[in-house]
Formats: sequence, structure tokens, C-alpha cells
Amino acid sequence: MKVGMISFAHVHAGAYASALNGIPHVEFAGIYDEDEARGAEAAEKYGVAHFKSLDEMLASDIEAVVICSTNADHCHYTVKAAEAKKHVLVEKPIATTIEDAKQMIEACKKHNVKLQIAFPVRYMPAMVEAKRIVQSGQLGRILAIKGTNNGSMPGGWFVEKDKSGGGAVMDHTVHVVDIIRWMLGLEFEEIYAEYDRLIYDIPSEDCGMLTMELTGNVFATLDTSWNRPKSYPTWGGVTLTLIGTSGVLEMDAFGQYYNVYRDEATKAEWANFGGNMDYILVKDFVDACINDKPVKITGEDGLRALEVALAAYESGRIHQPVKIEDIR
Amino acid sequence: MKPGLKVGLIGGGAMGSTHAEAYRVIENAELVAIADLIPERAQAIASKTGATIRSANEIIGDPSIDVIDVCVPTFLHRDFVVKAAEAGKHVFCEKPMARSLKEAEEMKAACDKAGVKLAIGHVVRFFPEYISAYHKVKNDQIGDVAVVRTTRGGFALPTAWNDWYANYEWSGGLVLDMIIHDFDYLRWLLGPVERVFAKSTLGRDYNRLEYALVTLKFKSGAIAHVEGSWVNSGGFHTRFEMAGTKGLIDYDSRQTSPIKLTVNRRDGTPGVPVPTGAWEESPYTTELRNFINVLDGKEGIVVDGNEGYESLRIALAALESIETGKAVLL
Repeated sequence: MKVGMISFAHVHAGAYASALNGIPHVEFAGIYDEDEARGAEAAEKYGVAHFKSLDEMLASDIEAVVICSTNADHCHYTVKAAEAKKHVLVEKPIATTIEDAKQMIEACKKHNVKLQIAFPVRYMPAMVEAKRIVQSGQLGRILAIKGTNNGSMPGGWFVEKDKSGGGAVMDHTVHVVDIIRWMLGLEFEEIYAEYDRLIYDIPSEDCGMLTMELTGNVFATLDTSWNRPKSYPTWGGVTLTLIGTSGVLEMDAFGQYYNVYRDEATKAEWANFGGNMDYILVKDFVDACINDKPVKITGEDGLRALEVALAAYESGRIHQPVKIEDIR
Repeated sequence: MKPGLKVGLIGGGAMGSTHAEAYRVIENAELVAIADLIPERAQAIASKTGATIRSANEIIGDPSIDVIDVCVPTFLHRDFVVKAAEAGKHVFCEKPMARSLKEAEEMKAACDKAGVKLAIGHVVRFFPEYISAYHKVKNDQIGDVAVVRTTRGGFALPTAWNDWYANYEWSGGLVLDMIIHDFDYLRWLLGPVERVFAKSTLGRDYNRLEYALVTLKFKSGAIAHVEGSWVNSGGFHTRFEMAGTKGLIDYDSRQTSPIKLTVNRRDGTPGVPVPTGAWEESPYTTELRNFINVLDGKEGIVVDGNEGYESLRIALAALESIETGKAVLL
């Protein structure tokens, strides 16, 4: 199957490009980027064709695209790809507004192409194992959940609301929300959020703390802060603690690491050996396209996660909890 | 008999017996009397310390006693503290200061009126890791504090006299009883709190597994996430992480103990876990030593009634938020 990539604006583009080059049955056919120089550079790096026009790439015989544009551009590119009958794997969050997300879902449905959202954390072996433990019933009934998705401050367009849809809350809410929905089958009902710009001189918030009410009388919190300093041993991480009636499960998605002390690095580092989630994600998407199976992470999954982030922004504005149904 | 202040202890449970041990090594104080409803418990303390076993009223009424140390369940603090103050005794009162703000106000007023000193047992301010982190922050090593996360607990619901911890009206549950330690520490470190939002298993359907997550927004701008757990996850432990404009501190008691001891024990062993550690001096001793020194006209750090009151306000606001589902402004 031939696959193209649209835009290298997002930092994850490189990981997906490497994955495409490594997956059997996939021919990584080319790159289009609205930033022509960036597109040319990426095309050379990954040894693929550089398309100077999107229409040209979409008119080619590729069957699917991977979109790593700014969040705000997801809708435009997804709709164009769907109209050209290309399957779509789009970086998270699905979009920056509910309207855009719905338009993307509709377009892919209308043109009968697959739409998958890139939530690679679902594919981390540690998360897969955690889900197995949850489903074994060892924890009993879940009472509460504590999640974190901290990271370093990404800069660039991530801090410009018109391109990203927000800051740390938009960037880091959706992964853990998706993991909770996937692992526990719970839905989010009401969101409270405290967020602020406290660390960096940037236009968006860099710190976020969400408290959430879920179905099943379960509550959860999620720390989305971009608060890992440059000296931190790694970029950040994803953790989840489940409090159950018969047990507690503490998960660290990137907890498979060893310490590295190199004089050249001037800081301690964590070397991860937990598996290549980006590769597994892209491979799973490709498998779904080739075998015409349903994708595992749908547009609706992306929309549900986006709703939580948008409710968090509304809560931060009024300083009280906000019901998801009120922002739909 | 040792020179120094004479102390009468009311309540010889987990904290009372810890305090009794502390007075044995504090040079300028002597534990002279112990009152407890359970005779064996009073006897155990008396035989270790030489204190005499008497009723609480006898102890408070004894003119030779200078200090009353109140280690009874929370809902009884007010009665004993007010009586002790009226009898002209200085008072050390375990945390939380009281079950309600009204009780705390009466305690402050009684001590002010009698001209006696009141200290509240916010002992975390005397734990070496918390003191060290406090100074690290105050010395601007991580810049302005932005986001703080704290964890306390990880053991099953404590069991004590009349199962009072399980009685919300008596103890206030873990938010009032336990993570008030973190509220107090964070308020000491970061200043006043502006807004509180909290959720807990309280009032849901499984009260013997209490778990609470509290978000505090400080007037400084900082955001804190405070976790409290009376659900067994390997025994009592504490954690903190503070991220600032210039760096980050993190601490996990499970990873930093110089000594690890595991004793096979079933979950739900009766009692209240009191932290132990490889310390130069137990923080509980340091805490009492400071109070005794101040009473003795020396230098010392005391968490007074006003401080205890302010930390109580945060805990009660968290309980209000849990009950109403709304954010509470302080």
C-alpha cells in the first residue's frame, strides 16, 4: 500500500515517517508540506518523493495519508484527503473545535475512507498489559483515577492558540482521556480545570490540572503541565493510577527505562526500552486499511477526547465545573 | 525528677505514645501524668516514662503541671483545649486543630484570654525532607513554584478507639485528618490559598476505602494537586514534586529510604501508622522540643493556633467542595 504524509509541522512526524519506512507492505510514497523547504528536507531525509502541491499528491495512487500538520489544519487536510478517497491517520487532537471534528468524521464517512486518530499510548506494551490486568477483575470495581501527562514545553506553534487550539491543556488532555475510555470503558461527564501560564513567557497556558467526573460514579484528575525542565532526564511521561475496591494499579507508560550518566550530556538521562508505540500505531492503521477492518481509534474517539479539553477551557474561564453535554 | 516544664498528656493512642517517647529525650520537659480511657494503654506509657495515671480533669486541675498535650480524637480537641487554657496551662494540640472553624475559634479565644500558648501538631514542617525542600524553594533553586503534586497515605483506613477515624462526624475523614498535613505545608511554602476543588470517595458508596484528590489554586498563582489515600498500596508513603520556573524537585519516600524492612502482615492490621525513619531525631520530638523551648523562654518554631486555623479552613473548604461538587473560594 502506498502512503503519503501531509505536513511535518508536528514533532511526531519524524517518528511516523520512520515507521512508514519500516513497515512491510507499505511504500512510503511521498511528502507534501505547506512549508516547501521543510517538505523538501523531510523528503530527502526519508528518501521519498517531494510533492510541491497537495492536489498532485492526492491525485497520485497513494491509498492513505498520515497528517502531522498544526492542529488547526487537521480539518482542511482530512477533508481534502477524504474527498480524494484516501484513508486518514491524523495526529491528535483530532481538531481544535467540535465543528471541525464533526466535519472530518462526516467527510470520511461520506467518502467511505477510514479515519484514525493517533493516540499511540494505547499501543504501549505497558498499557496493553495494564488493560489485561483491569479486565481480569483483580482491581474490583474502579473508584478513582489519577493521571498525569507532563512534558517539556514544545514551543513553536504549540503555544499559538489559532494553530494549536490552546496550550498544555489541549496538548496533554487527550492522550490520558483516550486511555481511560479505552481501558475502562468509562465516559467523561463533567470537567473542572485550573490552568495558568506560570513557567514560560508564552501566549498559552503551560500548566493544567483537571478534575473529572466519569460515568460509573468514578472521579479522576489529570495533570497536563508542560513543567519538565531542560535538565529533566526525559521529555516527560504518562502515568495512571487506578484505585479499585480490591486493588491499586500504578502504571507508568514510559517506566521501562534505565539510567544513563554521560559526561557529554551534562544531565542524567533515561533510556527507554518499552517498545516503539509509533511504529505499532502506524502498522495497525495500515493493517486496517489493507484488510478493510475497522480502525481501533475512531474519529468519535478523537472527538470525545477533544470535548474534555474544550470543557476544561470553559471551566477555567468560569472557575466552576462544566458538563460535557453543555459544550456539545 | 527532671528540671523544666511539667507535661500532662491526655490520650495515649498512636500519637500520645509517640509524644510520650519524645518527652523522655527532651531535657527541659517531663511527662508527669497520663490520662487514657483504656487502662492498659495508660499503664504502658506510665511504666515506660514514670508518669502517673490520672483522670484528664485531675491532670488539668493540677497546679504543678505547666503544659497539657492533647492527643484525643479530633472532635474532642475543643473541650480539652478550652479547659486546659482556662486552667492556665499552655497547650499542645494534635492536628487537625478541630472538627469545625467554630470550635477552632473558641480554642484560640480561650488561649488568648488566658494568656497561654497554643501549638498545633503540624509535624510535617519538622520532617527533614520537607524542611530541605522548603529551603530549596525559598533559596530560589527552582524559581517561582508553578505546579506541586503531593501524595500521602497508601494504607488501609486507620483503626483506633471506637473506630473514630471511620466516623466522618468525628474525624472528617482523610481530608481533614491526614492531608491537612500537606495543606499546612503548602500554605507555609506558598502562602494563602485562593480556590479549592476536591473529589473523594466520601459520600459515594465505599467509605471504608477513602481516597481524595484535591486541587488548590494559590494567590501566588501556583497550582497544587494533593492526593490522600486510605487504600492499601504498599503501606504508608509520601511523595512530592514541585515544578518551578527554573527547575523541578521530586521526592518519593518509597525510593529514598536508606533502610528497607518488610514484615509479613495482613492488610488491615489494626492501628494508625506513624512514620518512622533513619533520623537524627524524630520529627515528633523536634516538634515538641521547639514548643517546650519557646515556653522555656528559648528560641523555637511553633505552629500556633492561627496557623492551625488557616490550614483547617483549607481542609474544610475541600470537604465542602467534595459535598457540593463546586469550587470553593477562600
